[in-house]
Amino acid sequence: MIMVIGGAHQGKLAYARRLWPDIAWAGGRTCGEEEIFRCGGIYGFHEYIAGRMRDGADLSVLPGKLWAENPGIVIVTDEIGCGIVPAERHLREYRELTGRICTELAAVSAEVHRVLCGIGTRIK
Amino acid sequence: MFQLVTGGSGSGKSAYAEELLTVPVRLSDTSVLPHIYLATMKPYGKETLEKIRRHRRLRAGKGFVTVECPKGLDEVVLLENDGVLLECIANLAANELYREDGSLNGRQETADRILSGIRSIRRQTGHLVVVTNEVCADTGDYSSETREYMALLGALNRQLARMADTVTEVVYGIPVSVK
Repeated sequence: MIMVIGGAHQGKLAYARRLWPDIAWAGGRTCGEEEIFRCGGIYGFHEYIAGRMRDGADLSVLPGKLWAENPGIVIVTDEIGCGIVPAERHLREYRELTGRICTELAAVSAEVHRVLCGIGTRIK
Repeated sequence: MFQLVTGGSGSGKSAYAEELLTVPVRLSDTSVLPHIYLATMKPYGKETLEKIRRHRRLRAGKGFVTVECPKGLDEVVLLENDGVLLECIANLAANELYREDGSLNGRQETADRILSGIRSIRRQTGHLVVVTNEVCADTGDYSSETREYMALLGALNRQLARMADTVTEVVYGIPVSVK
């Protein structure tokens, strides 16, 4: 498992496509609930989480299931926890849960790359 | 030793900060002095209480004595200890900046008060770990009160980083060394 993280609009997906040109990508906003367990890579992973939260799914099992069923996946995701804590409860839950899930996935990932201004730094 | 730990929400910075004080366990260490946890969160509302419970679970069994200190850090007198974890500056800054009636204390005097409190704690321990928070990396489209808070926290973080021996940003559980 490999993660590519960073703020929005930093060139994360372009960076990942350069490093892994042959991957079949799924988009987090549009892909189905099960597609993530079969695709080579997913971009907009935070939007996948947002979608499953809207569905009312139990996301506590997601990191373990993803690691078990698709351990070779490349995950591209926005870091969304570095702003002011939002006034709306569901947004607070969304950014907190996204952080916890990504922390769990980063712990088992072989590589974590952080992209800033299109430039990736491997932090793990 | 003074170590500053920063990171966003849900980044794993608390767990990392605790490890700085408690790992590695020194097997030859006969010291029975406790670690002190300076807690700054005001316990109001279900969500905050759940956060406090979660942090308590994380600290359980690690030899921490908790001292509640939502404000007035400069008046705290600590027992002899084997290290202090202060968590976190973002709460402390909010508690010191906003008055009960919703109006604000001055930014400079608030920063000075908090920094003087941290210097006082620093004198009372051989190993201080301070956790702060990254809140300035989004649109910035907020009320003047919130912008004042962001400016205060940013200034505190810069000053603390100057004082600290090490500064580490925790990114999804991964420590990234800044200083």
